[in-house]
Amino acid sequence: MGGRVGLKGTDNVLAQAKKLGAKPIASQKAGEMLKEFLADPQPHDIHWFTCARDMGNTELEKYGIKAKEIIYNPRAKTTTAEDTKKACQKFMEYQVDILVFCGGDGTVRDIFSVIDKKIPLLGIPSGVKMHSGVFGINTSATAKMLREFINKRLTIGDAEIMDLDEDLYRKDKWKVRLFGLAKGIVEPTYIQVGKASYESVSDDAVKDELADHIKDELEKYRDSLFLFGPGGTVDYIAKKLIIEHTLLGIDAIYQKQLVAKDVNEQQILALLKKYPKVKVILSPIGAQGFILGRGNLQLSPAVIKKIGIENIIVVATPSKLMHTPVLRVDTGDKELDRLFTTQEYLMVVIGYRLSRVVKIQTNSF
Amino acid sequence: MTQITKRNPTSFLKEEYEDLVKKNLEWNIHILESGSKPHSIVDGKEVIMLCSNNYLNLSNHPRLVKAAIAAAKKYGAGSGSVRAIAGTLKIHTEVEKRLAKFKRTEAALIYQTGFAANAGLIPQLVGEGDIVISDELNHGSIIDGVRLTKADRAIFRHRDVGDLEKVLREADKKYRRILIITDGVFSMDGDIAPMDKIVKLANEYGAMTYVDDAHGEGVIGEDGRGIGAHFHIEGKIDVEMGTFSKAYGVVGGLIAGSQDLVNFAYNKSRTWLLSGSHPPAVSGAQLAAIDVLESEPEHVKRLWDNTNYFKKELNSMGFNTGNSESPITPVIVGDSGKAKELSNMLFKEGVFALPIVFPMVARDKARIRMIMNAGLTKKDLDFALEKFETLGKKLAIIP
Repeated sequence: MGGRVGLKGTDNVLAQAKKLGAKPIASQKAGEMLKEFLADPQPHDIHWFTCARDMGNTELEKYGIKAKEIIYNPRAKTTTAEDTKKACQKFMEYQVDILVFCGGDGTVRDIFSVIDKKIPLLGIPSGVKMHSGVFGINTSATAKMLREFINKRLTIGDAEIMDLDEDLYRKDKWKVRLFGLAKGIVEPTYIQVGKASYESVSDDAVKDELADHIKDELEKYRDSLFLFGPGGTVDYIAKKLIIEHTLLGIDAIYQKQLVAKDVNEQQILALLKKYPKVKVILSPIGAQGFILGRGNLQLSPAVIKKIGIENIIVVATPSKLMHTPVLRVDTGDKELDRLFTTQEYLMVVIGYRLSRVVKIQTNSF
Repeated sequence: MTQITKRNPTSFLKEEYEDLVKKNLEWNIHILESGSKPHSIVDGKEVIMLCSNNYLNLSNHPRLVKAAIAAAKKYGAGSGSVRAIAGTLKIHTEVEKRLAKFKRTEAALIYQTGFAANAGLIPQLVGEGDIVISDELNHGSIIDGVRLTKADRAIFRHRDVGDLEKVLREADKKYRRILIITDGVFSMDGDIAPMDKIVKLANEYGAMTYVDDAHGEGVIGEDGRGIGAHFHIEGKIDVEMGTFSKAYGVVGGLIAGSQDLVNFAYNKSRTWLLSGSHPPAVSGAQLAAIDVLESEPEHVKRLWDNTNYFKKELNSMGFNTGNSESPITPVIVGDSGKAKELSNMLFKEGVFALPIVFPMVARDKARIRMIMNAGLTKKDLDFALEKFETLGKKLAIIP
């Protein structure tokens, strides 16, 4: 047991926070996480790789971690996104097993641009907005996830990286799009294989089941146009069904054939005129369980109203639902949000012909 | 000359077994030299038995043993056939009549095992275009039965009638038949499904109800009549499924309900149609078990007295016994390693109680699960309690 942990601390988030006049909280959050992590006895063979000063080492020093190595030294006192990226290069060279970092969606984006899917990421939430699927819900959850990962009780799975348009955000507007698919750590799904024995099932095996389910649905509703939403789960399903799919966008499929790729709102509305029956396949995106309003703005209120809530098929692996106990909807349209509120919950497909109800929450963050 | 085959057809047997051993997931079978008794000889050691399903100690009851011998003498050792062809002996039908009377239902049917009942009947009750709505903590044999159907499946939160209603509301819109299925007494926690409320909801939505009462038969309800009697809704649950292998002290699955259910079930359940029927000795003992339950209420009473005393003492020592409402008595210790250690130490001290660890229960809810036995004396319980107290302190589970 044990492993190599890369800790990337406080850089541009800190700088950014300072710029906004906020208190620098990244160090504090990193500290909270470490304290919580060290509260339980740890395997002896964890080796930490980190960056100098505020970019990680300060906190590791503070908590008395000896088995560490500084592998990146930022030049300037105030670090930038470039430092993040350079540090990530180093973490790759040193082949760390997991990269723990402090920050928000902006930091993840920088990290992801270098790491891609090569190292699983785990975020200590300390940025302004955290939509990406690599964050623990709080510092204590992050500490627990790290511990469980090191003890091999959590496994590696897909996690969406989200991208917030900061300029629009400052104008009080939301525009979050899906940026990419990284590796995060997830709770394995267990199936009972005997009276008293369970086997953990890989994330992919569960998604295979979801794909089988969707395959049946395509067969069952042959006269319907299917819109495949963005995100890792739907992308996996589409690939499994040998349908070309855009990870970050929405594709239209009719009788198992791709009819339109990466469509925008106008194109969807045009398709809705041509195809009277439409179903849309969605999956919660990112850490907070959004099925609408984050990462799929093409599915505008006008589109959803036309398709009808009853034609939304939500798919999710049980491990994903574990972290997102509610499905969130933020359409920006009061009338539509009210329709969801009245509906209260949605049936979510969690396996082959297996579903459960999950509550819908419409208030935005 | 040695034949060279394309592939080794059986190499996986050894490989997969060895893989289980490596992961510490294989079953280590314990051998009972004594029969299942309150004091059993397990792997050569005398221990107080706290993990059998022999709740009422009926497997050792002289009337059951005598009836088994008498039936074997009268009808022979085997039944000669499957029930449907030439294997229905008069004694099989007698058990069914007596059971229906005892359960206060119109009819009853005996299956070869409880698993055979679930695996045989559930896939016949629903098919394509139907939905099975299942408690998330249901027992494996229900899950397997449900897997054999072509119906869609939905799960509701454990014992949560509100969640069930949400699923029902959704299911109501698009399915032909709806089957709600739940354990009666849940085997891990010992809590009981709110069957009265479930039946009420089912009636509102026109759904069927199916309860697997394996741990409730002989234990809850008047004289151990099971969950129907427990909630005073006898005959109102569409399928009351149970087993003779636990509190009844014998073996065999059972269903109780309407005559229509029984007629349907034996004509359609492939497990029933294609397995040999019970040996007469089994049926003789089953009949005697019902007799004993009706005429000797002291066994059920002693089971509950023992349960209440044992739980009360464990709680006063500071152990967490969870939400059990039945003689299933968990002692929640938290960490899986600790649960295994406690179980091993208890065994060395002469108490047989098995650990239940993740992922059978949540990571921080690893436990020792005990099943009380009516045959244990107060002295036996005090002996076990003393061991629990000493070891609990040693392992820092209690102060």
